[in-house]
Amino acid sequence: MTYTLINVSSVTYAMKSKNILNNSGYYCEIEREERNKRSGCGYAIRIKDDPAVICGILERNGITTGERRTAERGNRR
Amino acid sequence: MRHVYFDNAATTYPKPPSVAEAVRTAVEKYGGNPGRGGHFYSMNASAAVYKVREQAAEFFGAEPENVAFTLNCTHSLNLAIKGLVKPGDKIVISSMEHNSVARPAYALSKIGVSARVAKIGGTDEETVENFRRLLSPEVRLAVCSAASNVTGRANPIDKIAEICRENGICFIVDGAQACGILPISLRDGMNFICTAGHKGLYGPTGTGLLISDGKFTLDTVIEGGTGATSSELSQTGFMPERLESGTLNTVGILGLGAGISYVKSMGTEKLFRHESGLCDILIDGIKGEQGVKIYRKGEKFVPIVSFNIDGIPAPKLSSALSDSGYALRGGLHCSLLAHRTLGALPDGTVRFSPSAFSSEKDVAGLVNNLKKICKTGL
Repeated sequence: MTYTLINVSSVTYAMKSKNILNNSGYYCEIEREERNKRSGCGYAIRIKDDPAVICGILERNGITTGERRTAERGNRR
Repeated sequence: MRHVYFDNAATTYPKPPSVAEAVRTAVEKYGGNPGRGGHFYSMNASAAVYKVREQAAEFFGAEPENVAFTLNCTHSLNLAIKGLVKPGDKIVISSMEHNSVARPAYALSKIGVSARVAKIGGTDEETVENFRRLLSPEVRLAVCSAASNVTGRANPIDKIAEICRENGICFIVDGAQACGILPISLRDGMNFICTAGHKGLYGPTGTGLLISDGKFTLDTVIEGGTGATSSELSQTGFMPERLESGTLNTVGILGLGAGISYVKSMGTEKLFRHESGLCDILIDGIKGEQGVKIYRKGEKFVPIVSFNIDGIPAPKLSSALSDSGYALRGGLHCSLLAHRTLGALPDGTVRFSPSAFSSEKDVAGLVNNLKKICKTGL
């Protein structure tokens, strides 16, 4: 299955994102991004729903989202 | 000999059993480094720490990302004060501030930051007016304790916040003696709340909080690993990681979470009533005794009572009480300015500070002891 990974700035924002999405009825997981191209390391949320919708929800809650990329289950990086 | 602890303004003891349990659980189950990895152990610890961040945020009316974990209130105050000022700035502090504010202010004078001291007045109105008079355009920030650690007097921080906001000045509140006992919240209008985790919030020692409303970005006093933006040499720019370099005190933070839960379950109003009642018993018991001076002038107090007995220096009196099993602090309580203001130098005062776990019976025992000392001396 294909997922989307959306970078967020820190573990704090990843946790906050997860709570907001869960409370909005969306499932997500948190992943560590050791090789985040822009900033060296950080966290991403892994979602299977429409990334535009998800990012919209997060932005409305004051969370700045970063790079997005798709990944396959079992081969996330 | 049975020992009774009345030094809760220094740190609360005992802690609720739930705090001890949370600390034990943290040691046993949350061993990973929060925010430093993607594996099970790190993520588990991260989630547990974030939960406490959310708890603290809810308790103080903040967003979770604007809650930074620190070592203690002094640490928080240093981060806030030093993170805001530049050479040439002026700051305003109250005449009753703890050394955690007075000493950073003094240290900053060496880089050209000058401090103005606003006198805590006889009434709240006077105090607000004294602050207002000093808030000129070159003032960068104002600091005031929510309550004095010496007299327990609660200050009108909401009103001071209002005049600071009107003048575009950042307002920092030292909540060490008020948080957990008064309903302190960012909704009162301050920009930063600095507080200890180990006092009225009943967390373990080594915990503190710096809570921001997000309107001011602090320059950093400490830089280092944050688990974020690692490819850059410049410090992480966003809260809370910006202020949390180095490994977090997971064990303390989880204990603090249990402490906050305890306070919430009890209710600050109930805690205030119980502890203030104990202060009243002490005051009523000793105020008529020969030579007793109680330092209480103002409109509202947190449960702290400082006093002296004529002819007995405070350290000697507290030492005698300790020999009888009563743990009260004697001396300056790290508050030179406050004692200077009260005219209680050089020996300071003896301070009584109960907690949720203090009992009327023990206060009555202390009163009897003090009465005896008043009559017969040491």
